[in-house]
Amino acid sequence: MKTNFKLSSKMHLFIIISSAIIAIGLLVGIICQCVANGFFNYGDDYANYKSVSVTYVDTDFSGKEEKPVDHIKKICEDAFNEAGVKSYQVAVGDTTTGGTVIYKFINSTDFSKLENAKQIINDKLEGEVDEAAIAYNYAAANDAETLLGSGKSVAMAAVAISACIVFHFVYFVIRYKLTMALGAILADFHNLALFLMIMALTRIPVGSSIATFAVITVVLTMIGTCFLFDRMRKNFKDEDMKKLSAFEIVDKTADESFVLNTVMPACLATVSVVAFILLSISSLSPLAIISPVLCSLISFISCAYGTALFVPSVYSRFKQIGDNVKKNSRAKTAKTTKK
Amino acid sequence: MGKVKSAIITALVVAAIVILSLFATISCPLNEVERYNSFITSIHMGSDLTGEAYALFYPEGVISQADYNSVVKDNDNPDKSEYEEKYEQHNSVYVEKDKLSSDSDFAESVAKDAEIITARFAQKGYTKYSVSVVDTYVIKVTVPTNFTYAAYKEYDNTSRSEELTKIGYTINYLTLNGEIDLRNGQDDKATSIIPLKYNGFANFFKGANYYAVGGNHYVRINLNDEGYKNLNNIIGNLSDGTGYFFIGDTCVGLQITYGENITNKTLAFQVGENYAKDYSIILDSVIQGNVLANNYNDDGKNTEVIATTPAFGESAVIWLFVLLLLALIGAIVISVLKYKKLGLVNSLIALAFSVIMITAILLTGIQLTVAGAFVLVLGLVLLLFSNFRVFEAVRKETLTGRTVQASVKTGYKKSLTTILDLHIVILVVAAMLALICTGELAACGLILFIATVASYVLHWFTRFMWFVISSLVKDKFKFCGYDREVLDDED
Repeated sequence: MKTNFKLSSKMHLFIIISSAIIAIGLLVGIICQCVANGFFNYGDDYANYKSVSVTYVDTDFSGKEEKPVDHIKKICEDAFNEAGVKSYQVAVGDTTTGGTVIYKFINSTDFSKLENAKQIINDKLEGEVDEAAIAYNYAAANDAETLLGSGKSVAMAAVAISACIVFHFVYFVIRYKLTMALGAILADFHNLALFLMIMALTRIPVGSSIATFAVITVVLTMIGTCFLFDRMRKNFKDEDMKKLSAFEIVDKTADESFVLNTVMPACLATVSVVAFILLSISSLSPLAIISPVLCSLISFISCAYGTALFVPSVYSRFKQIGDNVKKNSRAKTAKTTKK
Repeated sequence: MGKVKSAIITALVVAAIVILSLFATISCPLNEVERYNSFITSIHMGSDLTGEAYALFYPEGVISQADYNSVVKDNDNPDKSEYEEKYEQHNSVYVEKDKLSSDSDFAESVAKDAEIITARFAQKGYTKYSVSVVDTYVIKVTVPTNFTYAAYKEYDNTSRSEELTKIGYTINYLTLNGEIDLRNGQDDKATSIIPLKYNGFANFFKGANYYAVGGNHYVRINLNDEGYKNLNNIIGNLSDGTGYFFIGDTCVGLQITYGENITNKTLAFQVGENYAKDYSIILDSVIQGNVLANNYNDDGKNTEVIATTPAFGESAVIWLFVLLLLALIGAIVISVLKYKKLGLVNSLIALAFSVIMITAILLTGIQLTVAGAFVLVLGLVLLLFSNFRVFEAVRKETLTGRTVQASVKTGYKKSLTTILDLHIVILVVAAMLALICTGELAACGLILFIATVASYVLHWFTRFMWFVISSLVKDKFKFCGYDREVLDDED
């Protein structure tokens, strides 16, 4: 597939698009940091949450044939509907005497509504179990404040990503050219910034998966830049290509690498979408899986746009500047030799 | 290569991959009691796939609703009125009124303890964990169950209970309360044998850490100058012959024997694999002065570990495997559609990659999460795109009128630097992630590292298999799905 895009002539457009997204994302993030729940919409393992947990012993609920846990789930879901609250996650656990069902609610849920739901559940349970078992079959509403257990892993991820980007630059300086190394490091920063700012802008709840997908963004960018700049290097050495201007060579190379740099993220995006469908079936609640899937899609879109469109267009200017510097230094050397 | 030789090699390689694939994926009952669990069902899974285990920690003076109810709702219970007078409800827990009178101090001390516990658990390297303060006065610690699929589905009850026991030990050790001490007995009745002049025993140490050499696991305690000076005297005073390290009133299984001579500033103890890291973390935490302010669950005696279902649903593992299988099938279909029989060679390599990755994850004991599965797919994509890159380079060469064999040689040569650069960059990045990061990211880094190595090796193995399998066919252009541009004396 040939794009026939004259990418090098559209540099300003791409810079405007990227800058606008990054600036708006940054602005929204900073505003939310000051007035809301943080730069990102921390969810999942970072968030404080409220919960209703029902503890039960293995009771035969009035001779009903279903498992106690299924009956309790029904009671709970009815109670939540009545109280007007909706949980985002449910977990079931076995205890030594019976089990527990835990419904998690986002922190902004009105606690009095949960208390109301709890009361409805307790009333129903009291009506169904015998007197001796009442003490051990009950619902409780909890308010949990989560410490940033994953905070350290995010800090370490930031250190690792920085180290990877530095390595990427150094490797490209050694194996390729300085201008290409600058292009590669620009790609890393651009794609990563785009990913993070879109996450801040869209307020998708982020869990520890944000660190993983930030890393995947950088790794995909590295794969893309390896293919792009390798092709670029070969084209610049090609005798036929030497007749073309730097901009034309960059455009042609970007065309040649376009498929690879868009198909690879597209393949992974397809896997994400299929994962979303399959895991939604499994969890019976798309809410539980939607945030990592959106996170991954944003990561792949940032990579495809950044590596296939933005970087070649900006690199054409790097190349031009590099060539000019080379020309000037050659002219200077020639002058000095003449003198 | 001769056709017979080529057929034998092809048959052997295909048979090896197929047999390994069967062992890797098919579980079956061996008899009424025993069961063969495939490689894939023996891989440890993260909390998003097989759930998490949690424990609640009630400080002294706080009881659960169940404990309160069991007394108060029993009219014959003599303690009923005492409980009603003594406790006050706070959301789902009951707190002694005395404790509530100094409300902020008590709540603050619990919050501080939670921070200390968080720091301790951070060192365990779990793919995911959390510590929360529930209803102001209770600490909830959540860690992955680390179940294999077989354990999760209760096909392998031994490893299920082993994992829960391990979690129980870890949770108990990492929530221990008290100073470090040396005693001449293992149980609660043990008395401190350290003479008064050494009552600064807790200050004799600089820190503790964990290390492993040759499959053995050690806890190393580093002494400061004072500790180094005094420890031999203390050992000389061990009346019962052996001194045991205690944290508060709980013995951690490290001991010093009478007559031992400390000659340098470190003490190294060989410990069982399951405990070494826990001991080193708790000892280091306490040595650094991070001592809990409250006693929880009666010194951990009443701690119950509860395993819950995963956030992504009870059958999340199955769907994840279906996803990975679909990714593999997708790779096979694309390869075959684009490159005909050469695509089949590529499919064989993709299958080999999958089996290698399953085996490697099993052997290294990496915990597989959904993110880890994505990294696996990324590894597969890396291998496929490396091969496709070469296939296209070879196609280009054939268009110049070369034979397929000559084109393969030139195509591989021309793509060498691209493929090598790509793999070196990804390999180093993966190593950095594995070494620098913690938890899920470190696991992903390790998976990416193995996947990159496998991808590079299999990239060259593709060439070998291409050569071997194509030796059996006459029309090598047709075999590769290439258009024959020059109809001269090909092959």
